[in-house]
Amino acid sequence: MTWLNHLAARAHVPVFVAFGDDAPAEAWTLSRLPGVLIVDTPRAASVLLVAGTIPEALIPYLHRLHDQLPHPRATVLWQSRPTQSIPNAVAVTGGNEIGLVVVNTFADLLAGDRVSEPDVLPNKPPAEWRGVGPHGQGGKGMMGGTPYGRPMAMTDDDIRDGLALDSYTAEFGPFLPFFPPGLVLKLTLQGDVIQKVKATHPPFGSGRPLLAAMLRLMGLPALAVRSLNGGANRRVLQRLIRLSGARFAIPPGLGRMPDGSDVRARFDRMTRTSTDATLQNPSDMALGHVLIGLEWHAAMLVLSSIDAASLQTLCKNSDNDDASSATDGRDPSGHDMHTGHMS
Amino acid sequence: MTLLAVFGLFVFLMASVWAAAAFDMACRGWVSGLGARSADRPLRVAAMWLTQQRLTTEAPDRMNGLLSIAGYLALAMVGLAMVPLGPDMALIALPTSVVLWGACEALVVVVVFLHGWSQNAPLAMIGAYRYVAIGLPIMLLSMFVLIAAALPAGSLDLRDIVTSQRDLWNAIRQPLGLPLFLLLGLSLTLRGPFNYADSVDLAGGTSVESSGPDRLAWQVARLAMLTGFSAVAATVFLGGYLGPVLPSPLWLALKTVMIMALVIGLSHMAARTPVARMMGLIWMILLPLSFADLIWAGLVAF
Repeated sequence: MTWLNHLAARAHVPVFVAFGDDAPAEAWTLSRLPGVLIVDTPRAASVLLVAGTIPEALIPYLHRLHDQLPHPRATVLWQSRPTQSIPNAVAVTGGNEIGLVVVNTFADLLAGDRVSEPDVLPNKPPAEWRGVGPHGQGGKGMMGGTPYGRPMAMTDDDIRDGLALDSYTAEFGPFLPFFPPGLVLKLTLQGDVIQKVKATHPPFGSGRPLLAAMLRLMGLPALAVRSLNGGANRRVLQRLIRLSGARFAIPPGLGRMPDGSDVRARFDRMTRTSTDATLQNPSDMALGHVLIGLEWHAAMLVLSSIDAASLQTLCKNSDNDDASSATDGRDPSGHDMHTGHMS
Repeated sequence: MTLLAVFGLFVFLMASVWAAAAFDMACRGWVSGLGARSADRPLRVAAMWLTQQRLTTEAPDRMNGLLSIAGYLALAMVGLAMVPLGPDMALIALPTSVVLWGACEALVVVVVFLHGWSQNAPLAMIGAYRYVAIGLPIMLLSMFVLIAAALPAGSLDLRDIVTSQRDLWNAIRQPLGLPLFLLLGLSLTLRGPFNYADSVDLAGGTSVESSGPDRLAWQVARLAMLTGFSAVAATVFLGGYLGPVLPSPLWLALKTVMIMALVIGLSHMAARTPVARMMGLIWMILLPLSFADLIWAGLVAF
């Protein structure tokens, strides 16, 4: 073991958490564990922690996620179904020892006592070459085409201000850390404005703490960790949130729902009480009504202000809703969409 | 002598990067309620990143990626090098050093954009564009504030700006100046309420695809820019090296550390608003405020 590995082994373990269905309740407060650092991207992680069961439909996404971790890497399955594709993964059933298991797994990796996991998927492009010209551009002159499944950017009508920008269709989720776990959205973006939405997989009925999620989205990760302390010192937390200007940071009227509440009102409710109130009457709304026309950051705030059950209803409604459905796997310029992000 | 000064500058820069990282981690511990003792140690984190594999997307713009990191670091060093350490003691002794700093600010927007561009990934690209949208008006704000600070000195030379504060610091003479300039600092170092490039809602934005040594280098560059910015802020608003008893470079270092702590504290405690709302805030409130600062400085100077 080199001195560098020795020093590195004493750092907090960078962990990327892939939340599955029925993730253990303790999984939401992992950021409070000593010696563990929850990271936002698999590229920064050494340990992939799969918490709960990943449904069969999402296993290919898990494989892609796994291969995005840099070596040396290891996988810990926490109350999760064992998967044959990652044979060396460490399995944990109880909740108490998870921190210790993660720390020990990382130490073994750096000491060379544990072999770094190989890729699950073959090292080849996920989509085949479909271009026409020498650079795969294919379409009209220098434009168009889908080299390796990635559409060349093409301008499209804009729904907001008439500024025709390139439109881009891709799947996002189900493991994006700021997304409700399990949710896979096929989004068409122009710049960072959402033009079309289709839910290809609904979110799990998880107990994701929404206040912490919203605080993180507003650049307050430390306050988010504080909010996960089980309600102790609630007054101090409320005072710090007030001081941070978080309420003012949320645009008024953003994400208004049939019950009259907007994101700011829902955030207020979460700050006042420790529970995430469920929405009233989301039944006649679809995801498109809520997200289309919003810029990325605002859209993510909206998604994090809605409880899992209501989101599931919105996703179900989206299936029958023309306004929100993308053109079935192809972006408006006729290209196949990108193969996914943090999946 | 120059070589020794360059070496000293580099040592100070690296020491301050370490100190800033340690304070940042401790701050996180305090605000989260877990306590500073729960915080990680910068050298261990650096070692951890160094042991990680460098992974990229299939076709990253490798040259521009490296250029962005090196450029960010170089701009931080230029900022630090033009700060006077004592009377007539500055590595880059330029009669128009304020203009050079302005150029550094503008180039930060370019290097951050390049960092996002070079990853070949959509979330990184969104971070890059968003940063440009906010970086440009914030720079206008900084220009007004810096010109106001140069007015009492009647010069664009940082050395003259320091000597013009012999009786009264600009932070007191122009009360709006430092608070507004600190906002620029948050933006230049991609922190807290102005971190539109590397934010959580983009899973790390321009850094989303960085791993291992690349991630370490980018974080070091960010903290180096924090040092460069803080030294310039301490010089322009807190009288730089001026102070009794202690040697002048020590005064400058103390004031620099103070500004750094202020920026780090702010970044943990202030919420970030969506870009469109921030754009409105900058154009309709902050820019008029910076103009008021300039008018105020003009009136006081006469």
